Amino acid sequence: MKIHTSIVAFFVLSSTLVLRSAAFPSNYLLGVAPEDEIYYKGLWSSGTIKCKDGSKTFTKAQLNDDFCDCFDGTDEPGTSACPAGKFYCRNAGHSPVSIFSSRINDGICDCCDGSDEYDGKNKCKITCWEAGKMVRDRLMKEIATFQEGVGIRAHEVEEAKISAAKDEAELSRLKNEEKILKEIVEKLKERKEQIEKAVEKERIQKEQEEKQKKEAEESESKEHKDEDKVDVPEQEPAENTDDDKAGILDNPPPGQNLKEDPAEPAVEVVHNAYASLDIGEENAAQEEEGSKVAHASDPSTGLGSKGEDATKDIDSLSREELGREIGSRWSGKNHEQQHNDFDDVKNNDETSVNAHDEENDGYDTETDEYHHQHYEEDDTEDQMGDVGDEANDDSSSSYKYEPDDEVDMSDIESTSSPSWFETIQRIVRNFLQAVNPFQTPVDTSEVENVRKEYDEASGKLSKTRSRISRLKKKLGNDFGPEKEFYSLYGQCFESKQNKYVYKVCPFKEATQEEGYSRTLLGQWEKFEESYSVMLFSNGDKCWNGPDRSLKVKLQCGLKVQVADVDEPSRCEYEAMLTAPALCLKGKLKELEDELRALNKEQPQLRDEL
Amino acid sequence: MKSVVFLHYFLGFILLVSHLNSVSSWKKEEFRNCNQTPFCKRARSRKPQHCKLIATDVIIGDGDLTAKLITPKEFQENPDEDSSGIASNPLILSLSVYENGILRMKIDEDASRNPPKKRFEVPDVILPEFESKKLWLQRYTKQVIDGDSADSFVVYLFDGYEAVLRSDPLEVFVREQSSGKRVLSFNSHGLFDFEQLRVKKEGDDWEERFRSHTDSRPYGPQSISFDMSFYGADFVYGIPEHATSLSLKPTKGPGIEESEPYRLFNLDVFEYLHESPFGLYGSIPFMLSHGRTRGTSGFFWLNAAEMQIDVLGSGWDAESSIMLPSDQNRIDTLWMSEAGIVDTFFFIGPKPKDVVKQYASVTGTSAMPQLFATGYHQCRWNYRDEEDVKNVDSKFDEYDIPYDVLWLDIEHTDGKRYFTWDKALFPNPEEMQKDLASRGRRMVTIVDPHIKRDENYHIHKEASKNGYYVKDASGKDYDGWCWPGSSSYIDMVNPDIRSWWADKFAYTQYVGSTPSLYIWNDMNEPSVFNGPERYGTVWTGDNTATWEQLRVSVPMILTLGLTGITFSGADVGGFFGNPDSELLVRWYQVAAYMPFFRGHAHHDTKRREPWLFGEHNTKLMRDAIRVRYTLLPYFYTLFREANVSGVPVTRPMWMEFPDDEATFNNDEAFMVGNGLLVQGVYTEHAKDVTVYLPKDHTWYDLRSGTAYKGGKTQKIEAADAIPVFQRSGTIIPRKDRFRRSTVQMENDPYTLVIAVDSSGEAEGELYIDDGKSYEFNKGAYIHRRFVFSNGTLTSVNLAAGTQFLSDCTIERIILLGHLSKPKSARIEPSNHAAEVELGPLQIQSKIRSSVLTIRKPNVRVSDDWTIKLL
Repeated sequence: MKIHTSIVAFFVLSSTLVLRSAAFPSNYLLGVAPEDEIYYKGLWSSGTIKCKDGSKTFTKAQLNDDFCDCFDGTDEPGTSACPAGKFYCRNAGHSPVSIFSSRINDGICDCCDGSDEYDGKNKCKITCWEAGKMVRDRLMKEIATFQEGVGIRAHEVEEAKISAAKDEAELSRLKNEEKILKEIVEKLKERKEQIEKAVEKERIQKEQEEKQKKEAEESESKEHKDEDKVDVPEQEPAENTDDDKAGILDNPPPGQNLKEDPAEPAVEVVHNAYASLDIGEENAAQEEEGSKVAHASDPSTGLGSKGEDATKDIDSLSREELGREIGSRWSGKNHEQQHNDFDDVKNNDETSVNAHDEENDGYDTETDEYHHQHYEEDDTEDQMGDVGDEANDDSSSSYKYEPDDEVDMSDIESTSSPSWFETIQRIVRNFLQAVNPFQTPVDTSEVENVRKEYDEASGKLSKTRSRISRLKKKLGNDFGPEKEFYSLYGQCFESKQNKYVYKVCPFKEATQEEGYSRTLLGQWEKFEESYSVMLFSNGDKCWNGPDRSLKVKLQCGLKVQVADVDEPSRCEYEAMLTAPALCLKGKLKELEDELRALNKEQPQLRDEL
Repeated sequence: MKSVVFLHYFLGFILLVSHLNSVSSWKKEEFRNCNQTPFCKRARSRKPQHCKLIATDVIIGDGDLTAKLITPKEFQENPDEDSSGIASNPLILSLSVYENGILRMKIDEDASRNPPKKRFEVPDVILPEFESKKLWLQRYTKQVIDGDSADSFVVYLFDGYEAVLRSDPLEVFVREQSSGKRVLSFNSHGLFDFEQLRVKKEGDDWEERFRSHTDSRPYGPQSISFDMSFYGADFVYGIPEHATSLSLKPTKGPGIEESEPYRLFNLDVFEYLHESPFGLYGSIPFMLSHGRTRGTSGFFWLNAAEMQIDVLGSGWDAESSIMLPSDQNRIDTLWMSEAGIVDTFFFIGPKPKDVVKQYASVTGTSAMPQLFATGYHQCRWNYRDEEDVKNVDSKFDEYDIPYDVLWLDIEHTDGKRYFTWDKALFPNPEEMQKDLASRGRRMVTIVDPHIKRDENYHIHKEASKNGYYVKDASGKDYDGWCWPGSSSYIDMVNPDIRSWWADKFAYTQYVGSTPSLYIWNDMNEPSVFNGPERYGTVWTGDNTATWEQLRVSVPMILTLGLTGITFSGADVGGFFGNPDSELLVRWYQVAAYMPFFRGHAHHDTKRREPWLFGEHNTKLMRDAIRVRYTLLPYFYTLFREANVSGVPVTRPMWMEFPDDEATFNNDEAFMVGNGLLVQGVYTEHAKDVTVYLPKDHTWYDLRSGTAYKGGKTQKIEAADAIPVFQRSGTIIPRKDRFRRSTVQMENDPYTLVIAVDSSGEAEGELYIDDGKSYEFNKGAYIHRRFVFSNGTLTSVNLAAGTQFLSDCTIERIILLGHLSKPKSARIEPSNHAAEVELGPLQIQSKIRSSVLTIRKPNVRVSDDWTIKLL
């Protein structure tokens, strides 16, 4: 330790000497980093040491004698003689650096303490204090950002855990539903086929019978015809579906319908089961986007319990009644009536509208966002207009996008309420029990009812499946080691630069928009360089060039913002994105250490000056 | 300041057309072939002995031998089918003789008979001082050859050489006096034809069309064609610019697949093909021949019209009855030009360097470049803005890669208005240049000759107001279409307009220019003919990132060098397309030894700066660039040699080894000066490469110091670098310290590498000047010759009386092939000793060579001294 300090003292002395005298260096350890000085002590004890690469030995006289003896430059730390050499500038007041030997006495001041230019041909100003101050200020700013950012990041990591757990739970619930729905669909399908077979059989039988009793039984066949007439509207179910659904979305509370039409309670029950399903789905869809707003209430619970109440009624219905009720759902007459009911409710029934609103209160904002997403194209334009109004030419903003490529709100149907399942399961179970395919003659209305139920259920199944695949797709993403990028899913960030609007949607895509023209810069590929770069690739093809791609460099920042979009090579874009996710504790510590090291040098500089 | 003008062949109209039509590259059908070119088709279909002209009225006058060429009566009455109706006025032939073995032969219409118009003679190509080298012919001697009915006329040409005019059949040739062996001959196959100008009469339709182009030809067809024979020739070379092999392959003859002739027609060709006789950016109608027995000859036709040249395969004339001396190898060629006159130069050689010197005495030698221009240039279409420039510049420093010049392509301007800056992208051009200059770097900006027709553009305003534009047939400003859209062209043929144009480059007029800004004189194909080497550098145009194009860049540059344009190079990496890292590395490794060393890329390509391909490749490219910088003292000395003598910097091997037949058509290896042999690697995944090392020399691998015997093909390891050998008997100066650019190297000490020959001797030269001004013309330079003999190295002053000061010393002297193992050396006159030890051949080479090294002799390069090994 003693030796070490004395060498340092020697070094400090000699370097100041050199700076003042500008003479050819006679000092031996010029250009040696303090931590390296120990390596050279052998020169004083034994007179020769090895080059660091072991290739050769050299003497004290050969140290810094301006002739390269070691390939690696060990013997010439202070001259330009060895190309591989590094020169250490102390840069008191700033940070020390090791510069290439090619910079020594090249007429350019590389070290802020001027120590690299000692041949007297070039006088360097000592600028470490000023340069150091700039660096320190910048560092302090950066540290402040990091300090705050680290907190935000921690919070986001927590949130991400919760959201991810929710999504996982939702997924497993959906999977469960899928399983049940699948069973139901299979059973219905089986039943449908059985009934269809029975009907067919009956038809053939009837034909035979008719042949036999051609003339005698005319009146009987007339009766049958009447029944057929009733069934006519059922043959165009598709026409009704949409309107029906529209009605379902804003379906009035069940009690009202029951009151108005007490004769058909089961229908309403079924209706409500689906209605609650729809509302539940909406919630689920919003949750999937990472809604940070807690739900004021669980709307499905209330509806579910109502459903449960209703099921009791179902249980008590007779087989015939049940069949009729289910069948009547699809009759034109009933639908019309329903529609009217719906209009009434919409126009007059304040209570019911309010009730609905209340249920959705907790996520009104989200609903707005929803709307926003739904009309993505128009909104984008609006945004561009808004951005253009700002004085700043370049700007950035963010919004959410609908994560699924085929956005169709009416399609997003599922339920967050398991009770719905119990209800529907029970209904179907009862229904299936009630309908006996082997009974002859087969009730034709039952045939249609089963078919309807089958269509409805398989529709639900495919929607549930698409929700599952969407969630799976989301959860299949790499959100970082701590899921710190979880909240970026479903969001887009914009930056306006000159005439272009650049839109970066992590985990999805990046685009460049100019007016109505939209160019895909790339589809989400992956993170790179240990989560410090986002890569979007396979964008639109360039004429005579590569497919477009975008590399987004990530930096710690308190807000998520895109900036500095650049195209260094034709169709290869680069951008910068700041996000709290990048505010890492380890990096903060590094910065703090760096600042501490800088501050440590200050007083010494003062002394020397 | 020394003029540094970079002549660029960029993308022209051809490219534009291609852009509009399709994505594909070179379109054959857009270029006229010989069959679609009437003069070429006619000339090519003529049979030997077509020419019926005979020489009469032979006299000596004004130091020349002149004659009338007439068609004898019997042939006038029965003219050839294809020359029917053509005027048969006599032509005037003159022969002049110039110093150092140059015969000039001119044939033109007889001015005394008032032809309708004076035929075009190319101005500005022949050096004004050339006329002063004319030897005034005093007399001729008559001789009868082969029992001719008429006399032949013999004049003195050079010691041991004479020129002969044979009257009937008409023939002009050069022969050795003593042996009578022919060297070069004109019209020996009687293919000479000269279409004289005519006055248009009612019904004459001389129009010629190709695609959308029409040539009205108001004086009728006026083409000229003739055959030239090179004797004692194994190969012919030259006539750039074509992307072909160094030795010119025959285009016609038995067993030769019918090919187009070599075309000389300046074109900016989009994605040109390798292995094609098609004309590219420049046209230099100068051909050399070389053979082991005879040596080297040259022939130059000063004619700037479209030209087509056939190299005829042996036996092409088997059907003719002509008997030429057949004991020598002979290569016949057919020269066809659309217009102009016969103004030709016969160069007798007999050594390769004699021919290029003789040629250079006619058209001039290459300009002495500023030192920085010999360093590495970084270019791209386009470095987009000031930040981009700053970033690229700083990356060179970050990776410790030297470079000297950063180039800006057309996008830096305000809407392709040259001499302006895009204000958004380059708001502070002066600051940007000053910042680069603070680290010793320069900037080059592009100026194209097409001027945007925009009333608010000051250049256009002045040019249109003053009538400085080239006019179309109707007398209006020619309105063309190029990068800026509607454009017109400055009439550069007019000296006043030229001077106006020159003023535009003044710092005061070119806003945003500083003394560290230089010009890239782009799209000047029409001006590239013989002689541009006197002003600037050129390169091989818009090449492509393929191995074939890397390969063909070597013969292209060697050919340009042979024909006077030594300061040339190919875009490193290939302009079009994306080179993979291996191709790029190999390209850097070869290009580092080419006179002009610049990386460039099309804007559709990926970025390819040397640090973008991973650490290992960065290192390889850095090594390649650094080797170039260490060799700059050698290169600069060679540029001076080229400047003085016309001998190119990079040379085909046969130029240095004219007796070694194995080198004659080798164009994959080349010489840098007389000392370094460079073998490129032109294939993928090569771990080693075979290289032919010329005989009678020992060759030292410059990485390891390993000695190889010449006269053999050797297999050499080449995984990380291409093999480069120093020839025994040479001394090469280097600067082994690495810097940011040439500017910081100025005061660095030298290393001398001595490779001794079998008798223990070697010599080499070093030329130094300030690297930037014309002061060297006033004697401000150092020129030393280093001679090593009998264990003593002596520095001899080759420039007595000159004065240029340099404090530079020699820090290291490396000895290759020296047999004894001295321990020290004695230096005189200072009378001090220097240690001799074993040291590395390259300080930063991975291969740990151990070669004899004189450590720190520290003698000054400007002094006389001797260093004796003890």
